[in-house]
Amino acid sequence: MTAPAPTLAPYLAVARIGARHTFAARGEAVGRAFFFGVLLLIFSQLWAAVLARGPVAGLEAREVLWYIAVTEWIVLSIPMVHLEIEQDVRSGDVAYRLARPVSYLGMRIAEALGALLARLAFVGVVAAALVPALAGGFPRDPRGLLFAVPLGALAAAVAVLFQAAIGLAAFWLQDCSPVYWIWQKLTFLLGGLLLPLDLYPGWLRTIARWSPFEPLLYGPARAALGAGAVEAAATAGKLVLWAAIATALLGAVARRARRALEVNGG
Amino acid sequence: MTPAIEVRGLRKVFRARERSPGLAGAIRSLVAPRSREIVAVEDLAFSIAPGERVAFLGPNGAGKSTTIKMLSGILHPTAGEARVLGLDPSRERTRLAFRIGTVFGQRTQLWWHLPARDTLDLLAAVYEIPAAEYRERRDRLVESFGVGPLLDRPVRGLSLGERMRCEIVASLLHRPEVLFLDEPTIGLDVEAKAAVRDLVLRASAERGTTLLLTSHDPSDMERVCDRAIVIHQGRLLLDRPVAALREGFLRTKLVTLDTVEAPPAVDLPGVTVSSRDAHRVVLHVDTARTPVESVVAAAMAAGRLRDLTVADPPMEDVVRAIYAAAGNGSGAGGAGE
Repeated sequence: MTAPAPTLAPYLAVARIGARHTFAARGEAVGRAFFFGVLLLIFSQLWAAVLARGPVAGLEAREVLWYIAVTEWIVLSIPMVHLEIEQDVRSGDVAYRLARPVSYLGMRIAEALGALLARLAFVGVVAAALVPALAGGFPRDPRGLLFAVPLGALAAAVAVLFQAAIGLAAFWLQDCSPVYWIWQKLTFLLGGLLLPLDLYPGWLRTIARWSPFEPLLYGPARAALGAGAVEAAATAGKLVLWAAIATALLGAVARRARRALEVNGG
Repeated sequence: MTPAIEVRGLRKVFRARERSPGLAGAIRSLVAPRSREIVAVEDLAFSIAPGERVAFLGPNGAGKSTTIKMLSGILHPTAGEARVLGLDPSRERTRLAFRIGTVFGQRTQLWWHLPARDTLDLLAAVYEIPAAEYRERRDRLVESFGVGPLLDRPVRGLSLGERMRCEIVASLLHRPEVLFLDEPTIGLDVEAKAAVRDLVLRASAERGTTLLLTSHDPSDMERVCDRAIVIHQGRLLLDRPVAALREGFLRTKLVTLDTVEAPPAVDLPGVTVSSRDAHRVVLHVDTARTPVESVVAAAMAAGRLRDLTVADPPMEDVVRAIYAAAGNGSGAGGAGE
């Protein structure tokens, strides 16, 4: 008797569970939407005051608010997959999940991607209803939003891959929070979470450009402001490259984690 | 006939980090980490025929769970050989996973926040069971095990016993040929334990499923299994039919009498006082010399009882007795049948 050829069915099934779980946790979803709204309200007031005398680096208050809406939409939609993996490692469940005929990491990532899609949709609907009102309209070239949506989804998926690798750090550290905090702060800083990278000093912009963080947040958000198809394609290319790097990193860490499990026990 | 499970010279060694106390020790551990080897399983050998129901016993840390993890492909042996259904678990884990099932009493394979039905749907996808066949199998298991009313409630709202019944349904969905059960009745009340034993036994009887069951409760072994393998410190200590074990090591019961007045003296052959206080006495009864009902009758005749319980001795005591017998060469040691 041979095992059936591997299919995507289990991963699609667990992705559906991830999405359903997100919608089932209504309180969490409403809390996320509320936080998004409050944040946008504060920044709309702040940037209206800062840019009252005119645009900076060619950006008006309305555009900065759309920029922040996109970066926050991405950040608030990324599930905490590293915490799920950390919990599995700390409780020892990871060993038991290896008894199934599917990839443990593949299932965890698929579940996170399912949750990610649900969150992107939920926060996206809230953003679509709220941001035009707070910003006083759409960006100058609203077609940019058509690029920003798929780029934002791709960026968040790449972030899931990196965060899964961070979760595996629990095999050696037990608690992967310190690694995640460094990753998160670098994402906020070098990704330009609250401030477009155009406003950064040149040297910091250069560092950001060579990091994975720029295409994770700045790229999709800049696309929303009408950066154009060429720049959007460049961001997509960078994201694909960083997805490949994240996958390779994840594979390498997973192999070492498997060895750690063998040496230290389940 | 090819054995369902065959193990020869199986060995597993782990490495445990050692940390010195204090700040200086922590720094030293960081600079020059030290570790020591722990032999979890040593030169283990046994063979289980298809359809056999085997209890895998031993005190905490004996190597039971490590062995099950090696047999299910989760861990790779340091040395020796294991074959399950003719497959090498460490090299053919995925192929094997389609043919074995696992129930771990202290873990759950059900999604905590979602109804059990969702996990069953997911497992149907994981084990690639065609939709119509899945529905037929699920409905049959659900009806047979009486879990219908539980399926649509979030798992977090189920009692431990209800959850365990759903876990067993989940583990049988893909019709495993071998079922590994690691402490499936831990933490359950008497009624739930009986239900779980009944389900496991029925599943094995209906489909000829081979069972390898670890437990701390001797009753699990007595009610479900026909053979017992006892290991201690990773080594095989005894491999016997349960009937033989019952005669040799499972012939004691603990009878607890809660009394209104001072506990009566029960002077019968093979009955000794295990502990006593103002209104309670625990009697250790050798059932080969005096049946439990005689002890109960004598206790009731001697004074007014507030409560009475009869229990098996803890598994640790049973294993200790086996180990003591093995130590003084009274025939318990080795794999003699």
